[in-house]
Amino acid sequence: MRLPYAPAAVTMILLLVVATGCRAAMPVEQGEGLRVLAVESFLADIAQNVAGDRLTVGSLIPLGVDPHGFEPTPADVVRVAQADVLIVNGAGLEVFLEALLQNAGGQSQVIVASAGLTPRQPQEGEEVEGHHEHEEDPHFWLDPILVVRYVENIRDGLSQADPAGADVYAANAADYIARLQELDAWIAAQVAQVPAERRLLVTNHESLGYFADRYGFRVVGTLLESVSSGASPSAQQMAELVERIRASGAPAIFLETGANPQLAEQIGRETGVEVVTDLYTHSLSAADGPAPTYIEMMRHNTARIVEALR
Amino acid sequence: MKRRTSERHGEAGLLAEPARLELEAVTVAYNGQPVLVDVTFQVPHGAQVAVVGPNGAGKSTLFRALVGLLPLRSGRIFIHSRPLGHHRDCVAYVPQREEVDWRFPVTAADVVMMGRYGRIGWLRRPTRADRAAVARSMEQLGVADLADRPIGELSGGQQQRVFLARALAQEPHILLMDEPFTGVDVTTREATLALLDRLRDQGVTVMISTHDLNLAAERFDFVALLNRRLVAYGPPAQALTPQTIAEAFGGQALFLDGVAIVDRCCPPGEPQKRGG
Amino acid sequence: MVAWLTDPLVYAFMQRGLLASLMVGALCAVVGCYVVLRSLAFLGDALAHAILPGVAVAYLLGVNLLLGALAAAVLVALAIGRLSRHSLVQEDTAIGILFAAALALGVALISTIRTYAVDLTHILFGNVLGVSAGDLWLTGLLGLAVLTLIGLLYKPLLVVAFDPVLAATLRLPVERLRSLLLVLLALTIVVALQTVGVGLVAAMLVTPAATARLLTRRLPAMMAASAGIGAFSAVAGLYLSFYANVASGAAAVLVATLVFLLVFLFAPHHGRLWAALRERRGR
Repeated sequence: MRLPYAPAAVTMILLLVVATGCRAAMPVEQGEGLRVLAVESFLADIAQNVAGDRLTVGSLIPLGVDPHGFEPTPADVVRVAQADVLIVNGAGLEVFLEALLQNAGGQSQVIVASAGLTPRQPQEGEEVEGHHEHEEDPHFWLDPILVVRYVENIRDGLSQADPAGADVYAANAADYIARLQELDAWIAAQVAQVPAERRLLVTNHESLGYFADRYGFRVVGTLLESVSSGASPSAQQMAELVERIRASGAPAIFLETGANPQLAEQIGRETGVEVVTDLYTHSLSAADGPAPTYIEMMRHNTARIVEALR
Repeated sequence: MKRRTSERHGEAGLLAEPARLELEAVTVAYNGQPVLVDVTFQVPHGAQVAVVGPNGAGKSTLFRALVGLLPLRSGRIFIHSRPLGHHRDCVAYVPQREEVDWRFPVTAADVVMMGRYGRIGWLRRPTRADRAAVARSMEQLGVADLADRPIGELSGGQQQRVFLARALAQEPHILLMDEPFTGVDVTTREATLALLDRLRDQGVTVMISTHDLNLAAERFDFVALLNRRLVAYGPPAQALTPQTIAEAFGGQALFLDGVAIVDRCCPPGEPQKRGG
Repeated sequence: MVAWLTDPLVYAFMQRGLLASLMVGALCAVVGCYVVLRSLAFLGDALAHAILPGVAVAYLLGVNLLLGALAAAVLVALAIGRLSRHSLVQEDTAIGILFAAALALGVALISTIRTYAVDLTHILFGNVLGVSAGDLWLTGLLGLAVLTLIGLLYKPLLVVAFDPVLAATLRLPVERLRSLLLVLLALTIVVALQTVGVGLVAAMLVTPAATARLLTRRLPAMMAASAGIGAFSAVAGLYLSFYANVASGAAAVLVATLVFLLVFLFAPHHGRLWAALRERRGR
């Protein structure tokens, strides 16, 4: 197998040409002259709700790209460097960011959305194959109540960067928090339709831990990246997975958008469980898709989960 | 168009139809350089022709043009009075140096059978008649016992005889052989000469090239003396005179007491004839 | 003993995997005879990567990805034939040039797309453990078509490969046949890739045929032996994957390589061991 060092070099050169030309335009930060950039699209949406009309929050990672696999281009480095305020998830999600920030230089103020939140420990019975993706689980945002803390951190950070707008941000934040609590109640009501013994989550990535904790699900196990991203599991691993899923009684397997469904579908065929392939967890969808904002994203995911497990 | 074997051969195996070979003002160029210029001659049915000339005279080029491997810059070639390209298996060609893949997994018998492909067609399987023809040809060339041996394992002479057997199995009307006597062992030489005699009986038209002027004079009906253009053509007595030889071979001819000595083949550095 | 063979087949995915392994192993091994004999060993790996730009373009145009892959593979195969015509550029050199170019083009295009880009190719690079019934039908039908074509064109392909001069004398369309062979290879590779993935396909095109070469004297026998070795290796890899917990594609390749080494050393005529013994006895 050829290692892609040479193509990578070609790519960089070509990209400098191409990226300046035909890349789809990202929203340009304006307003008050403050440039605010959120790393992930859902973060950008949450932050925009706090910022209201005062600021425009841009999103670094394009829609649909997994933050775990994100490789910043030179243009991305420039955007980070030019941002006055940078909003990150934190807790180890943006591994690439350290090098990026070093390269970018600049004097961005960094708001860590998840500051102050305590990471969870894997519950009893949760088996994660292979190595852990993260030291700690950064997927706080899949629990709307934890997102309240995100909103507070962002409100405080924006107020620090733009003190004149502090009242606006406070008001917007309060509104949005109310909506989050409304969302939480709605999700709980939906989940109530699922009998307790069927609240089992088998996913391709350990992202639904906090969601599971909040709404009473049990994460049975993850069909790791190996099964959904192209590395090759062995037949023995496949067989074991099949047995485990059968034994657990899980009614469905949930994949995030962008995961390779081939082996999950095979397991679905073998065990008869349903395979759901469109949970939006790391990114919003396009504007005309089912998850254009954070709240709609959570509603969509909930609907799919409840539908499959009911 | 191909016609059935039985229609083409008479009862005694003689070719019933005149296998004339005609060249008319043939000019062939290689990379823009003319290699054969304005060559015209006719070979009557069943005749055996020796093409002689110094190295670089265009002998190999002539053969390759006759089988359609090289395009003509001008002029025409007729076989059976029809232009080149209409006959698939009428002409068999044994080149001087086989450009084959010697490591290919084929046996000697497989190679000889390839000569029958023009007759069998691409989709049908070989018949008993085909296998008999192959066996016969290999017998006649003395390589029948090598039938199941991989072609790459045979000696140079054996390989040459296998390719001769292939040409024979093709049952051609015209057989072209490029320097079949150059650099071969005695067994092969004898086999080739015997083959020529047998082909004469069958009325097959034969054209070979050689450096051996004596052989050409002794055993061939016609001699074509070539040095890019046709210097002389006719029965040996007419074609091979001191004047024509001097003209064709230029400085390479030496005359001593009425005996012409020409610079024989294989100047130093000429590659070996056979691979394997 | 039998239980050991049949236990894995309790799972439907293993049954399908077994069939897929048999089919792809045999098909690639037969087609691989031409790859080995025409010195195209590079080709499997090269075409597997050459499909990248085809996939990218298909995605951008909203066309079926598999069609894009097929189109790219066929185009690159034909380009290889064109470049190496008239012996100006050797076939392996042509492959090397086009492989690098296609790969770079693919990477460049895909990086401008910047969505599920990485997964585009993973959708195309299958896994023998993920074979569905539909995949089996597709592979089976295509395999049959390719083998039928090879059977029908056996004699012309043989002559073109062995003796191009005779081919010309017999008025065979030499260049078109060479191109056709390359296109056939491209089709086989793309469909096999979809079923079982890169590692397995590239190796199954070379190693079993190379092994068979050492064991046989004639091309039909070589193809049959190659198919047997290919099928056996693929199936053995699957069983190893089940019992020894290793990736099946990699296991199959290792089995095929082991078989090659054994034959290389111990084969009756060509084996190194006997050759060495013969030399000593000769002294």
